[in-house]
Amino acid sequence: MTIAPDRVDQPDVDEDHEIARSWQVVVWNDPVNLMSYVVWVLRKLFGHSKEKATRLMLQVHHEGRAIVSSGPLEKAELDCHRLHHHGLWATLEQT
Amino acid sequence: MSGPFAVSGDQITLAIGDDERGVLRNVPALLEIGGDAEGRLAFTPHPNDEDAAAKYRDLIGDDLAQMRRVDRVAFEKVLDGESGPPETIEAFMRVIGEARIILAGRLGIEDDGWESEMDMRSDPELALLGWLGYLQDAAVETLSELL
Repeated sequence: MTIAPDRVDQPDVDEDHEIARSWQVVVWNDPVNLMSYVVWVLRKLFGHSKEKATRLMLQVHHEGRAIVSSGPLEKAELDCHRLHHHGLWATLEQT
Repeated sequence: MSGPFAVSGDQITLAIGDDERGVLRNVPALLEIGGDAEGRLAFTPHPNDEDAAAKYRDLIGDDLAQMRRVDRVAFEKVLDGESGPPETIEAFMRVIGEARIILAGRLGIEDDGWESEMDMRSDPELALLGWLGYLQDAAVETLSELL
C-alpha cells in the first residue's frame, strides 16, 4: 500500500499546446478509505458500472494507482476537485 | 430495518441510539481541533507543478472548504434525526470519511493492514475510527441500492 509520492517527474510543457493536450486523473491508494466507498465514489462521479468501478478500485489497491478519467485540463481538474471533495487522493498527469 | 439507516421512499434517516448519536456529535469538533492531520486533506491535483497548482488554486479558491462546510451542516441535520434525500446522506458520509482520514493521521496510520495489526480496543480514537468505518460502509450499502 502506498500514498502519492512526493515527486512525480513530468515532461516540460509548451503552454501554447496546453489546451490541446489530454490529461489523466489518477487516484492513489490510501490506507483509510474503504474499498466499498471508493467503488461507490467512482460509480457516482463517473457513472461507471459496479464491475468497472470495482476493477479500478482493485487496481488502486494492488498497484497503488489507477487512471479513472481523462480529458481536457478543465474537465480533469473538475473531476479531481470532485474526488477531493469525497476524500480521495487524486492528481493529474498529462498523456 | 436493523442497520443504522432507515429508508422510506427516497428519504433516509439515521437510525441509531442516543449514545451513538452523542459520539457523532463530537465529530465536527474533531475536524476543527484535529485540523488537517499531516496534510491528508490538503489535496492538490498538481503536486509537482507549482505554477499549475497556483492557477488551480485561483480557479477553485475556497470552493472545497465551502463544500465541506455545507456537508457539515447536512451532517448536523442528519444527527438531529431529520430525514433527507440520498444527497444529504452522501454529505453525512463525506464528513464521516473526513473524520476517518483525520483520525488515521493522528494515529499515524500509513499502510494497509492496520485493522488486523492493531487492537481496536486499545485506543478510543482507534475504536472510533473502526466504528466510523462501519457507519460509512452501511451508508455506502444504503446509497448503492439507490444508484
